[in-house]
This record gives sequence, C-alpha cells and structure tokens, in this order.
Amino acid sequence: MTTTTATEGMPAAAARQRALRRTALWLLAPGVLWMVLFLVLPILMMVYVSFWTQTTFTIEPTLTVKSWVTFFTSETYLSSLWTTVRIWLTVLVATLLVGYPTALFVGLFVRNKTLQTVLLVLCVIPFWTSFLIRVLAWRPMLGKEGAINLILQGLGIIDTPIEALLFSELSVVIGMTQIYCVFMVGPIAFMLGRIDPNVIEAARDLGAGFGRIFRTIILPLSMPGVVVGAIFVSVMVLGEFATSAALSGRKVNLLGNIIVTQVGSLKWAFAAVVGVVLTVIMGAVVAALLRVVDLRKEL
Amino acid sequence: MHSTVIKPILAVYTGLFLLFLYGPLLVLAILSFQTGPEGGPQFPIIEWSTYWYQHLFGLTPPSRIAPLPIEESLVRSLVLAVATMIVSTVLGVSAAQAFRTRFRGSGVVFYLIVLGMMVPGVLVGLGMALVANTLGIDRHWWGTAFVLHVVYTFPFAFLVMLAIFNRFDQSMEEAAWSLGVSPARTFRKVTFPLIFPGVLSAMLFAFTLSYDEFSRTLFASGRDLTLPLAIYGTFSVEIHPNVFAFGVLTTLFSFALLGVYAVLMTLSVRRAKRVAIQEDA
Repeated sequence: MTTTTATEGMPAAAARQRALRRTALWLLAPGVLWMVLFLVLPILMMVYVSFWTQTTFTIEPTLTVKSWVTFFTSETYLSSLWTTVRIWLTVLVATLLVGYPTALFVGLFVRNKTLQTVLLVLCVIPFWTSFLIRVLAWRPMLGKEGAINLILQGLGIIDTPIEALLFSELSVVIGMTQIYCVFMVGPIAFMLGRIDPNVIEAARDLGAGFGRIFRTIILPLSMPGVVVGAIFVSVMVLGEFATSAALSGRKVNLLGNIIVTQVGSLKWAFAAVVGVVLTVIMGAVVAALLRVVDLRKEL
Repeated sequence: MHSTVIKPILAVYTGLFLLFLYGPLLVLAILSFQTGPEGGPQFPIIEWSTYWYQHLFGLTPPSRIAPLPIEESLVRSLVLAVATMIVSTVLGVSAAQAFRTRFRGSGVVFYLIVLGMMVPGVLVGLGMALVANTLGIDRHWWGTAFVLHVVYTFPFAFLVMLAIFNRFDQSMEEAAWSLGVSPARTFRKVTFPLIFPGVLSAMLFAFTLSYDEFSRTLFASGRDLTLPLAIYGTFSVEIHPNVFAFGVLTTLFSFALLGVYAVLMTLSVRRAKRVAIQEDA
C-alpha cells in the first residue's frame, strides 16, 4: 500500500516540480528581459562607443582608441580622476567616523526597541526631502554670511567669516558626508543589534575594559555592517556629480561632472570613456570590499 | 563604567549627529520665509513673509526672478512615478514569486536584478542615451527615462517582496491547491491578500525613488523637464528663496504620502486581524 502510493506519487511530484519551474520561468522572463535590454545593453553600448571615432559634433562607428589616449594623456581628465578617488576616500572615512558612534549608540546601547526604532526613523526622515534640495540646503549653511559663520562669529570664536567653507572641496565633502552617512549608520547598527549582550557581559565579568571589549568583540562583529555601508557609500559617491555641481562652484570636477559636461557638448565618445573608467573603478572597489568580509557567510 | 560614562557621551553625540542631519533643512525652512523679491537666500531675515510661496504659485507681481517651471514638470514627475510604481511592483512581485521555486542560475538572475539599484544613474543614463542615439529613437521622459526608472526601482520592489516571501507560511496555499483551486485563483484569493503589506511597501519605495530620481533622467529624458531636473537647473544660476520654499512644500508632500501609506497599512493590518478573529469564532 505505502509502496504503491510512493511510486505513484513520484512522477506526480516530479511533474508538479516541472510545472512550478515552468511557471517560475515565465514569471521571471519579463524582469530579466527588462534588465538585459535597459541595463546590460546600455552598459555594453557605453563600452562599445568608447572606441568610436569622435568628430566635432558627431560620433562614427569607426573603431579607434583615440578617445582613450586623450583621456590618459590629458591633464584635466587625470586630475579629475585623482579628485574623484580623493573625495571618495575622504567621504568614506568621514561617513564611517561620523556614523560609527551613532550606530554604536543605537545598535548596542539602546536596548529599548521603541527608542531604537524612533532613532532609526529620525535618521531616515531627511530622505523624504528631495536629494537636490538637501544638497542646496548646505548653501545657506556654509556661505560667507551663512548660518555656521554667523554662529561662530556670534560665539566670538572667529572674527572674520571663514570663506573656505563654501565653494571648495571642503563643502563638497561636508555635504556628501551628511547625505550619505545614514547609509553607514543603518547596516552597522543592524549588525551591532545582533550581538548577544551575554557575550559582552561575560567579557566584562572576566575583567575586560570597554576598550578591549570594543577591539575584540564589537569591532569584529560589526565589520560586515561596515562593509555593506562602505559599498553603499562608495557606489553613490563615485557616481556623484550633483553635490559637486551645487557646492563647489565648479572648482571640484568629479568624473561624473566630466561626463555631464562632455554629453552637454555632444562629445559622446569621451563621455563613454569616462563612464567605462568609472565603472571599472567601482567594480574594483566593490570586489575588494567583498573580499574583506564574506557577506553570504555573515548575513 | 561601560554604561555610566560611555553611554551618556554617545547619547550626546547622537544628538549632535541628528543636529548635523537636520540643521541644513531647518535653516532652509527658516530662510524660505525671507521677504521678497529683494531678500536673498541668506541671513539675516529682513522681514518674515510668505512671498516666495506665493511666487511659486505665480501669485506675486512679475519681478526679475523667473518663477520655477514646476507646474508641467510636477505633472510629468507624478505620472512617471505612478507608471514606474505599477510596472516595478508587478515585476518585483512576479520575480520574487518565481524565486520561491529553486531553479538553476538563480544566483546570476539575483545579481542581475540587484545590479539595477547599484549601477550609478550617470552610467545607465549615458548608456541609454547612446543606445537611443544609435537606434535613432527620440529620448523622452515617458520612454527612455521611464524604462531606466523601472531598472532602478524594480530591484527594491523585488528585495522587499523576497523578504516577505521568506517569512511566508506556505501551508495556506497548499491547502487551497489540495482543494483543487487553480494556481492563479490561489494567488489572487490567498497569496495576494497575505503579501499585501509588502506590496504596499514596494509601491511606496518605487514611487518615492522615481519621484526624486534625476541622474538617470538627466541624460535619458530629452527636452521636457521632470521636477528634479527643474531643481537641478537652478544649480547653475543664482539661487533664490523660492527654491527653499519649494523644498519645504515637497517635504510636506512626502510626509502626506507617508501618512497615506501608514493609513493603508493600518487598515490592511486591521482587516487581517478581523478575518483572523472571524475564523477563530
């Protein structure tokens, strides 16, 4: 009796599995097609066009490496590449330094779930304002007659307003740090929240000070959060052009700004070269970060 | 010592951190009440007024400061956001539903979808513009820009739904199947009501991301501006407090949206509870 149902059940189950798999395929097809056509194809097109011939107003599909040579021999492009890397590293470190203590407080020290949620929601609310408005909001903060200079003068800390605050590399770094630091806080707080309080309790009972607990327990366990945050921040900062356009007064030219300018003057092949360079950098950064911590094992 | 010294320090720090997050927005909100048209986008406030809000709606006498071109761009942005929301939610739900069955190549497909939210807008925007140029297609906000918006928001919808399906009790569906209900009907009558809160979140994500998106739109949208592009246009010229007033209004609009989401969510949770109670009785 049992054997017959088993033998009869097998093909039925297999057929059901096959049917399920066929349904899954049909459900998946539109999404995959969409991504291939509108994401993979454009990126490949960008790589292809970077080898096209650029004339004054048009591009021709005659293959050449001229645009690549121009990129790697031009002072402007190379300095922009360096600026991009420098700003990316600065913002990455700044978001980590600014965000980590907050994540530590929210994730580890606040054990009340409601308060924890309230604090995290408070961090997310600014995202409900348009990104561009949040960037622009730094202008009245940092300007010569801006809020920060007024406050510092009012407190008698400085006599003359600091002019370097706005339209400089510093203003771009400040703006980006504020906009992106939440992407650091979130993942780190999430990882810290998963630490078993008993482990820390045990370490303390054994006489470890906070410094030692932080070094040997908290920091290693929060690393996956740091890596995820770093990936978010890196990808976003490397693809940036709006913050530098709004806050640097054209003094800071990131690779993203170069792309915008080149497209504006119809230099599609040059723009494509810069785009490919940016893609390569980003891929290398993400791959390197994923190497630091095996995310699939940790999450 | 752990909690007696370090905790208060970190609490104060977190307060300062929140000030850092909110400071610029507060300053912006205050300056939006600057008098006009002669008052500039900086302190001190010469006189409190709602001039710039009236300026936005074209209620002030003409001055040298051109009004923001918000009316048409607002309509475009809303239409674009709704269309993006519908398409990416449908794609996200069906892709996540597909991922409940094990199949070969699921890893590759997963990364292909997630790539959409990772690749910076400048790059896809540029790539799309190149594709459109080569194929001789005109770039429009409702065409090339729209498909890129979906590329960006579909992964979010997909991940939200994946998380929902992970915590999903399959026995309900199996009960329906064993009673001979067709898979399509099961999905409509059993699965969908259960995952509805997730669908709502996916829709919220898709709408707001699309509404605020501009780096993809910049290269892919052609001549007609969407709302973020209209704001981006002010970056290159002298800014006036009308942009600030507009920032305040969009923020209020976002909160209203969040409120609608909260109401719908509460209603669906309450309905689920009521159904559960009826079943118990």
